[in-house]
Amino acid sequence: MHVSDGILSAPVLGAGFAGTAALAAVTLRKMDMEEIPKVSVVTAVFFVASLIHVPIGAASVHLILNGLVGVVLGRRAFPAVLLGVILQAILFGHGGVSVIGVNALMMGTGALAAYGIWRLRRRMAMVRSTFVFGALAGATATLVSGLILAAALATTGEAFWATAGYVLAAHVPIKIVEALVVGACAAFLARVKPTVLADAEPQAAVGGAPS
Amino acid sequence: MPLDIDRYAHLDSPVQRWDPRLKLASLGLFVLAVSLLQTLPLAAAAFLVALLWLRLAALPWGFVAQGVRWVLLFLMPFFLILPLSYPGPEAFRVLGLPFAWEGLRLAALITLKAVAIVLTAYAMFGTARFDLSMQALERLGAPRLLVQMILFTYRYIFVFLAEMRRKDIAMRARGFVKRADRRTLQVMGHFVGTLLVRSFERTERIYKAMLSKGYTGELRTLVRFRANGSDWAKAVAVTLVAAALLGADLVGPFRAAEQGWF
Repeated sequence: MHVSDGILSAPVLGAGFAGTAALAAVTLRKMDMEEIPKVSVVTAVFFVASLIHVPIGAASVHLILNGLVGVVLGRRAFPAVLLGVILQAILFGHGGVSVIGVNALMMGTGALAAYGIWRLRRRMAMVRSTFVFGALAGATATLVSGLILAAALATTGEAFWATAGYVLAAHVPIKIVEALVVGACAAFLARVKPTVLADAEPQAAVGGAPS
Repeated sequence: MPLDIDRYAHLDSPVQRWDPRLKLASLGLFVLAVSLLQTLPLAAAAFLVALLWLRLAALPWGFVAQGVRWVLLFLMPFFLILPLSYPGPEAFRVLGLPFAWEGLRLAALITLKAVAIVLTAYAMFGTARFDLSMQALERLGAPRLLVQMILFTYRYIFVFLAEMRRKDIAMRARGFVKRADRRTLQVMGHFVGTLLVRSFERTERIYKAMLSKGYTGELRTLVRFRANGSDWAKAVAVTLVAAALLGADLVGPFRAAEQGWF
């Protein structure tokens, strides 16, 4: 999910860069030396995994997985998404250089929201809670990102109001795909290597929970 | 889709020879100017100028076209949505929907600007080794931590791409077919999970190897950039072009004309 160059107005682009800089500064705080290669390498996995296409009916969509980034990296998800967005802009012009700020803010906030949902799972005793909360985190990330995208389009001008509406509608099937994939992945990781997950017991994984 | 953006960095051309710091800074200003354009003739001019950068950089068209194709694919819907949903006077009706020329103009404007920026991005990042481009960005004031992480991520993208392809072949060899059902999504979730588990195990080894080579959290490099007169001349020329485009757009010899365009 991304906006490409040339659409959004200057104030929206500027706000994107400002918001991204602020969130990056907060989420990169107190980064251990050990985390630098870890977050980077895990970001590479997400970058590659987002190239996977899954069929829906006759069409196919590619995975976004920003929810999973939140579930795995915790608050370090924001810098990870920022890295991914910068690389996408440089390597594919896929959501170009001028919209790095807006795109990172949109996807990164979704990832942080997913992390917020993911942390709630401890509050509730529930069967298959890793799957359920993983799925919720996946859907929430797409929802939040979609809303920010729609807001960016809508504030650019009245001409884009209809587009913003279509964007929100088109994201419904994507939310379902993301929810099921992220849920399955979270449940899998919880069984196989729980320390990979953010705010895992007893010791946090990469990034992990701010204690 | 080419992931090795610097495949043609070894070619010899005025853009490849340009000091990466000045190249990125001045073409970056050009991108900024293009993203602010509001009139069609100037967006078209920006598109032609962007083609000129590529011509000067001697990048093969086929290589660049692979990137441009995706942008065009993404922007195609705007040619349908915008004319049919533009608030304002309609020219005529298509299938009962009001069609506004202004919407079509907006779609064309967006597309020209987007393609111009993508083409310029190729001239910016396709003409020097990726690591040199990133170090140039660092010298221009990009956060060191971020630059270091981008370099790591870029390097491991290729490792995991190869790993993903291997796993994909292995799955298909065992008879897995992607379908539009829940089972497929579950398998894809496990697929991504396996990649993650392996990557975590790999980061432990990478970190230890780096420590043993004296890593202290800083990126050390032997690269020294040097700018001479012609590097500066190119930067000034590009900046002037960017300023001229934006100035003409703001002063508005074309803006007045566009009021009664269609």
